[in-house]
Amino acid sequence: MISELLINAFLVTIMLSISIALIKTRTVIFTVILTSAYSLVAALMFITLDAVDVAFTEASVGAGISTILFLAAMAYLPKKEEESINSQFIPALSCIILGGILIWCSYDLPEIGQLTAPIHQHIAPEYIRGSKEDIGIPNIVTSVLASYRGYDTFGETIVVFTAGVAVLMLLENKNPVKKNKSQPKQKFKKNA
Amino acid sequence: MISSTIGIWNYWIVFCLMMIGLFLVIGRKNFLKKIVGLTIFQTSVFLLYITFGKIKGGTPPILNTSIDTIYSNPLPHVLILTAIVVGVATTALGLSLVLRINSEYGSIEEDDISAQDLVDYHDEIETGKSIDLKFKQ
Repeated sequence: MISELLINAFLVTIMLSISIALIKTRTVIFTVILTSAYSLVAALMFITLDAVDVAFTEASVGAGISTILFLAAMAYLPKKEEESINSQFIPALSCIILGGILIWCSYDLPEIGQLTAPIHQHIAPEYIRGSKEDIGIPNIVTSVLASYRGYDTFGETIVVFTAGVAVLMLLENKNPVKKNKSQPKQKFKKNA
Repeated sequence: MISSTIGIWNYWIVFCLMMIGLFLVIGRKNFLKKIVGLTIFQTSVFLLYITFGKIKGGTPPILNTSIDTIYSNPLPHVLILTAIVVGVATTALGLSLVLRINSEYGSIEEDDISAQDLVDYHDEIETGKSIDLKFKQ
């Protein structure tokens, strides 16, 4: 079982290096591709952590559709990221402090894969039993998603619908008739 | 010692990933980079949840015929499936906001945009149009 954890540790370290590369890069296309790679490695990690449904959702939605959205948006945006004028000391310091606190707290978390961890005691055995006896679907994730927590899935569809409507409203009105500004800001436009 | 370090190594790296995502959101001034940071943050939270659900020697939670199979916890998987789809919806919304900002300002750098807003504000003061008047129209 130690080999499983070693593979995990290796993959998660790859993810760390990809995200460090994301901090370094200033080119938009590299950013998009690194994000896609990050999602794919995350999908691999989900497989080693026994979450196969999550893995193929992440690979298709996280690495596929997200990347397409980023590439489509990238076509209309500046290709280079500008260096910031301000110092990034305070954001970096606050992130390091918060991360240190979280890592300090991680000593109280149960080790990975312990059967005695609190999360495995409460309701999951019920779902595993009920999926066979009450619903009769072999895939437990499906039966929980569609039956036991069906309202969650319903809420999710509402969220996706709302986001779709909002995207359409934002992108539809390219040239608004009523302008609050007296004149359009032509001088600042690099690529409209 | 090594076993226990490996046992919580995932948590450490996941927390580092979260902080890198947070840093991209609050430290970088490019809006596209901020959205990428949100994605990184999201995926690391997904990893944290799925890590909690893992059981040593367990199988994916799909029922098989043998009696003594240990299944990994299916509940985090369900929650994260929902979260992935919602995450893509929010990414799409954020990207369309960035596109709209770019067509209005011609830039997606936070510094540029606040500088343009400042220029506009002073223009309005010089031309005698007060901000209260603008709101009344």
